[in-house]
Amino acid sequence: MRAGVLAATLAAALTTPADGSVDPVAAAAPRADFEPPPAGSYRLQRIQPIAEARLLDVAGQWRSLSSVTRGKVTLLTFFYTYCADPLGCPFAYVTLTKLRDRALADPRLASAMRIVSVSLDPTTDTPAAIARYGAQFAIDPRFEWRFLTARSVPELLPVLEDFGQDVSVETDAQGRPTRTLHHMLKVFLIDRDGIVREIYSLAFLQPEVMFNDIRTLVAEPAPG
Amino acid sequence: MRTGSRAAGVVVAASLMTGLAVPAAQADETCNSPYMTGLIKGQEDYVHVWTLGVEGLGDGSDKLVTIDANPASGSYGKVIDSLSVGGRGEAHHMGFTDDRKHLWAGGLDDSRIHVFDVGTNPAKPRLVRTITDLPARTGFVGPHTFYALPGRMLIGMLSNAKDKGGVTGLAIYNNKGDFVARYGMPSATIDGVKGDGYGYDVALNPAKNALLTSSFAGWNNYMRDLTEVINDPKAMQQFGGTMVLWNLKTMEPTQIFNVPGAPLEIRWALAPGQNWAITATALTSKLWLVRQDAGGRWQAKDVGAIGDPAKVPLPVDISITADGKGLWVNTFMDGTTRYFDLTNPEQPKETYQRRTGGQVNMVSQSWDGKRLYFTSSLLARWDKKGADNEQFLRAFHWDGSALRPAFEVDFTKEKLGRPHHMKFTAKPAGQLALARAGSEGP
Repeated sequence: MRAGVLAATLAAALTTPADGSVDPVAAAAPRADFEPPPAGSYRLQRIQPIAEARLLDVAGQWRSLSSVTRGKVTLLTFFYTYCADPLGCPFAYVTLTKLRDRALADPRLASAMRIVSVSLDPTTDTPAAIARYGAQFAIDPRFEWRFLTARSVPELLPVLEDFGQDVSVETDAQGRPTRTLHHMLKVFLIDRDGIVREIYSLAFLQPEVMFNDIRTLVAEPAPG
Repeated sequence: MRTGSRAAGVVVAASLMTGLAVPAAQADETCNSPYMTGLIKGQEDYVHVWTLGVEGLGDGSDKLVTIDANPASGSYGKVIDSLSVGGRGEAHHMGFTDDRKHLWAGGLDDSRIHVFDVGTNPAKPRLVRTITDLPARTGFVGPHTFYALPGRMLIGMLSNAKDKGGVTGLAIYNNKGDFVARYGMPSATIDGVKGDGYGYDVALNPAKNALLTSSFAGWNNYMRDLTEVINDPKAMQQFGGTMVLWNLKTMEPTQIFNVPGAPLEIRWALAPGQNWAITATALTSKLWLVRQDAGGRWQAKDVGAIGDPAKVPLPVDISITADGKGLWVNTFMDGTTRYFDLTNPEQPKETYQRRTGGQVNMVSQSWDGKRLYFTSSLLARWDKKGADNEQFLRAFHWDGSALRPAFEVDFTKEKLGRPHHMKFTAKPAGQLALARAGSEGP
C-alpha cells in the first residue's frame, strides 16, 4: 500500500468509531498542540543501554543487534507483517516514513541515521517474509532501513525483555493461542553509542518532536 | 502459536488479518498516568491497597493488600492476599509502569521503592525488586507520586536528605530500576513569581508538552504529629504554595503559579481539545484551575471553596471522571466525600455529599464511574485518634445521585494496618504471554 493511501485509510479509521459510540477519551492519534523545542536546545535522558543479541536479516544472515544500533542514530521498533490495527504498526510506519522522507531531504542527516524494524513473530515473519514486507519501506539506497527477525520465539524473548516491549497472544475460545498479538506500540530512539535516549508510545509519536530529537542526537559529539 | 495440527493452522491463518496493537490509553480509571497500556474499561477484578504497618497489629509491617473486587467472584469483598515488605517505611503512594505489569510503591519515611509484579498473576503479586538508592542518587527523600513515562517512571518527591525540609525535586528511573535523571524543583523567580522548591504530585499532558507539579511539605512536617504541626507557627509556614509548569521535553520549569495552602493532587482533563487541569489546596480548602489562555500562556485560578474553608476540612485526594465533567473530593477532617459538577471547570458546583468515614483520604473510581473505593489513612502521625481512627476500605456503587455501600474491609479487625493508596488490576483474560504461547510450539 502506498504511503498516501495508507495515511488516508488510517485517517478515516481514526476518526470513525467502529461502534458509533462517543468516548471522549478513546485512544486516538497523538496530538501536538505546542511548538516543539528546537533541536539541540535540550539534552535527552540516557534511559538504558541495549543488551547484545543476534537476529536474522532479510538474507537470512546473522546480524548482531549492536551492528545495527551503533554508529548512527537509530529508530527501532517492533512490528509484525500482518498487524492491521490502525493505531498499531501501520500508524508507526506512517510516522517513520515521514521521518525517512524528511531525512532524505538532508543528505548528511540521511547518512547519520537509520531505522530498524524487528519482527515480533519469527514464525510467520521469516527472512523471506520480512524481505518482501520491507521492500515497500527500504526504497532508497541513501537511507538505511533494516528489517530483522529472530530464528524462534525463545531467541526473541530476551530482546523483548531488554527493551521492555510487552507482547501477549490472544487465545481462542478453547484457550489456545491464535496469531493475534497485543503489544504496546513503542519506538525507541538510540544514540550512536547504543543507548536508548527516548521512547515514543502512541501519545508521544509526534513527528515534529521526533525529528528534532533525532537532530539533537546527530548533533551530539561523536563517541571518542 | 501452534502449528502442531492442521486445525490449529487454520485457526492461525484465520487470525492473521486481525493483528492488534494495544493503544496507549488516553485516560485511566482515572488517576494513573494515562500513557500506559491496559486501561480497565470494564469490571476491575482486584483492588491493591498499599498499607502502612501499625506496631503491634498483625506483623506490623507495610504491605500490599489485594482485595477481590469482582461481584461475580466467590471471594468478592474479601482480602485474598497480603504481601509484607518487612518493616515500616510510611507506605504511601503507588504507580503502574507503562505496560501495567509492575506496581511501584514508595515509603515516605525510608525512601524505599518496592516493585511488585502484578502482571503475571494479579491475584498474588510478587515483590521483585526494592530500590534503595534514591536518596544517594538524588539527594531527595520521600518518594510520593509514581507516574509512568514510556519505559520509565517519573517520581515526585516531598523532601530532601540534607535538612528534611520541603525543598525537593523529581527523579526518573527506567523500568529496570536504574537511575536515569534528577531535577530540582525551582526556587528561582520566573516571570516575577518565586518558586518555593517544594514538591508533591506530578501529572503529564503530552499533547501540550506539559508537566504540572504541586507542593506539600517536607519530612519534618509529614512525619510529625499533626496536632504538633498545627500548634507550631514555624512548622505551619513550611508548606508549599506553588505549582510549576514544566516543558516536558526539556524538563525545564517555564512558569510558576502562586497557589497558597499546599496544592495536592493534580488531574488533567484529557479529552481532546481540553486545556486544563484541576487541583485542591489542603490548608485553604479551594479548587484551583490551571488553564491555557488564548495567548498560549497558562494561568492558575481559584475557582471555588470545598466545604467551609474556615473549618479547615482538609481536602486530600480527588478523582476526576473519565470525561472530565465531574470531580470527587475527600475532606479528611470531617470524613466527607463531595461530588462537583465540572461541566464548566471555571465554576465547579457541589451537587452531592456524604460522610464516608470518621476520616477519609483516598478515592479511586472505575472507568465508568459506577464504582468508587475509599480508604481512610492519611499519614501514620496525621490519622485521627480515638473513635474516628477508623481504618477501612469502603466500596460504593454510584448511580449518579447517591453512593450505595457495596462492601467494606476493616483493616484493623483484619490486623493489616492503615490503608492508603489503591490501584486496580484485571485478570489477563483471553491472552497468553508470548513466552507461554511460544513454548506451546509456534
